[in-house]
Amino acid sequence: MHKGTRFIAALVACAAIICLTGARSATARIKLVTLPVRERVEIQLDNANATLVEEERIVTLLEGTNKIDFSWSNTAIDKGTIRFRVVDMPLRKGTNKDHTSLLRPDGQVEMIRVINVAYPPGENALLWEVFAEKPFAARVRISYLISNLTRSFNYRAVAEHDESTLTLREYVRLGNFSGEEFGDSGIWAGFGEYFHREIGMNEAKELLIWKFLNVPIEKTYTFDWWTGQHVPEQREQRYVEMRYVLHNDEEHQMGEFPLQFGKVRIFQKDGRGGEAFIGEDWGRFTPIDDEMKLYLGLARDVVVKRKVTQNRRRKVHGNLYHQEITLKYTIENFKSDPVTLDINEDMNRLRDSFCEHKDRTAQWEIVPKGTSIGKKQIERKDARTAIFHVPLEAAPEGEAEVEPVEVTVHMFLRNEW
Amino acid sequence: MRAINTHSMLVILSVLGLCCVATPAGARNIDLATVPPRESVQLTIYNSEDITLVRETRSLSLKAGINRIQYSWANTLIDPTSVEIRPLEKEDQIEVLDTTFPGDKPQHLIWNIESKIEGQVRFQVTYFTSGISWSADYVLTANPEETEMSFDGYVQVYNNSGENYENAEVRLVVGVINLVEKIRDLARRGIIAPPHGREEEKGLKRRVMLGAVEAAALRGERRPPEIIKEGLSEYFIYTIEGRQTVPHKWSKRLVSFTARKVKFDILYRVRPHQYGSRPVRFFMLVNDKEHELGTTPLPDGLVRTFRDNGRDGLSFLGQQKVSYIPIKEDIELNVGTDDEVVWERKAMGVERSDFAFDHTPPRVVGWDERSSVKEELRNYKGKPVRVELRHVIPGDVELEAEGAKLHDYHTVEFTYDVPARGQFAWHYEYTQHFGTKARQDRIWLK
Repeated sequence: MHKGTRFIAALVACAAIICLTGARSATARIKLVTLPVRERVEIQLDNANATLVEEERIVTLLEGTNKIDFSWSNTAIDKGTIRFRVVDMPLRKGTNKDHTSLLRPDGQVEMIRVINVAYPPGENALLWEVFAEKPFAARVRISYLISNLTRSFNYRAVAEHDESTLTLREYVRLGNFSGEEFGDSGIWAGFGEYFHREIGMNEAKELLIWKFLNVPIEKTYTFDWWTGQHVPEQREQRYVEMRYVLHNDEEHQMGEFPLQFGKVRIFQKDGRGGEAFIGEDWGRFTPIDDEMKLYLGLARDVVVKRKVTQNRRRKVHGNLYHQEITLKYTIENFKSDPVTLDINEDMNRLRDSFCEHKDRTAQWEIVPKGTSIGKKQIERKDARTAIFHVPLEAAPEGEAEVEPVEVTVHMFLRNEW
Repeated sequence: MRAINTHSMLVILSVLGLCCVATPAGARNIDLATVPPRESVQLTIYNSEDITLVRETRSLSLKAGINRIQYSWANTLIDPTSVEIRPLEKEDQIEVLDTTFPGDKPQHLIWNIESKIEGQVRFQVTYFTSGISWSADYVLTANPEETEMSFDGYVQVYNNSGENYENAEVRLVVGVINLVEKIRDLARRGIIAPPHGREEEKGLKRRVMLGAVEAAALRGERRPPEIIKEGLSEYFIYTIEGRQTVPHKWSKRLVSFTARKVKFDILYRVRPHQYGSRPVRFFMLVNDKEHELGTTPLPDGLVRTFRDNGRDGLSFLGQQKVSYIPIKEDIELNVGTDDEVVWERKAMGVERSDFAFDHTPPRVVGWDERSSVKEELRNYKGKPVRVELRHVIPGDVELEAEGAKLHDYHTVEFTYDVPARGQFAWHYEYTQHFGTKARQDRIWLK
């Protein structure tokens, strides 16, 4: 028998059962057996919740009823999922003598049929009764769901020194704690490369599924008053967060398949032949045409202060009012490169801070009068989020000081009470 | 007599020796008995309750006059109130006079049978036992194109009754029956039960036995057994052809039916309140002849769905429990989310208007709120997909959207076909009336 069958899956074709199959005692089964070896193993990792193992063996079947014994130990096979399939099922033309339930829609009859499966008590085993219309050396695929043979995904992104593009490698990590070792096995994660590998017991294996080359990087700088990290002793500041945004589409040399959830380790070429690790983040599941945003850390060279310069309540009727608010952002870019800063403003939280907490969505409107940026720079992302896109020039060279950029946004929070 | 019990057969019927005839039951400790074997046994197993009707036939050699027949069932789960014996022949000359449950012997009874004839007579013994059950399950394998599937039905019989049933005819009943007492409780408690309880059990048994179909003839060994399905009143009986041996503690799974080239459709469902934020894929078919099914209702059971992955292997799509599916009923199989079909919804804004106030001082007590929503479907598959979306919008709602229809009073439904590698986006608005402005609890499609 194949070495991989030490712990699992002794498949026994009882070509001639010589006595006492099963009825009296599970331990008293005496049989004459042939031991078909595994010809092939396929490990299907395409389902995130369940790993399917398929093994192929050639089973010699006699004409009539054959008993096939399948047993395993020290491994968690889901007994109810074990399937016995004949590959290239031999067919014959149906006749009047055949029971109608045997006839397929094409009028043919399968010449090998599983009659029943018996499950002996207290054993990790089952016993198939298989009927063959004539002797066959049948290629049989036995499949089952197995526990503790798991998959996960992870990524390695290497950005060019100038951060214009990166190379993204996606890996599948296979952890085999199933209690079984698998010889040369086909491995399929549902997308990307198909592998042939041996997988030992308690072994983890990492396989490169796909390599995306020359992926353009969009690097973002985001200021968010409500979620940003506080700057010590600077009540009007929050740190600016940096992200790489990867667009999973053809235009950005990707879009082959959705990107699975996994850890992304990010490196940057140091320009001297080496790479520097610049951070890691969890990449969320990213469908095609969607974005994977990877948090890199804090940008210390872009400094933003936020002030509320106007807060005025305008009564409409009774307790109904509009809240008039002006926000002023003062921005300094100390980087030697120009960047675009995205300022996120959560209008629900802004409303809650001035008009008390409400369960309803804020009704907000940014008015041109008193707002220093143009319409094109204001994005209504959704009902509660405004984003202000602010281009910033590079810091001047030499001794010249950085000129702060001031952005004011004038808005109404309407119909509050 | 006690020494006759064997591991394989705990239910013993014995004809007591003549010396015992005239003595009261239990007065002697030494008996002489002959032990007629079971000639046949039939199990009718219900899946809605833990109850199995066992019918066994045995031949007894009777003498003219009174015959004492002892029946015992040590270490089993037989309901003593249900055990009955009746002759299968010469019924007008044989009478069961009485049944005695000796006080000193549990799981044990004695029948006094009066016979006008002498010789061998076939009897049928019936009783209920618990501990035997069955369940159905189904294995579906879709082709790589996901247009057709093979549909295999199985039944699995579990025997934990304490008794080995060899070469039994097995019948499986689909349907919900009413029991006033659990058989397992009756088996544990013994014969002492409220008098009306036994009458009701008998009534139940009669109903069941009326529906009994004759056993299928035992066919040759060269052919696998069929499972014959027959309707009966509100029940459905599957009779497994041939004889099955299901020893105590074993279970056995048999092919119930196979169907090939079963056509099915695929429908994606978006129901955030039910399935979360991702579209869920369903295989849709009907239990009818057009779909190579429809010969039998499908009992409650577990469905495991696979797909031929087109690379000489299988993909496991998922498993779910299905409830009883009558003939001609739709079958909807949830096979999980699909990475290649994406749905996005964005609430773009709200606008409040038409405020109502109470008087002193004026306070907002009612208003209208107009919400604007953008939705988008993207299909990265190489074939078109149909997506059905349902959104629950509570309260008094007026909705204006092309293609919208009501699923129920507070659920709006959209169905869209998205072309292969295409996308579809739409926008709609709805107004909700709040406070004193809310006069209904329903969506009104404008």
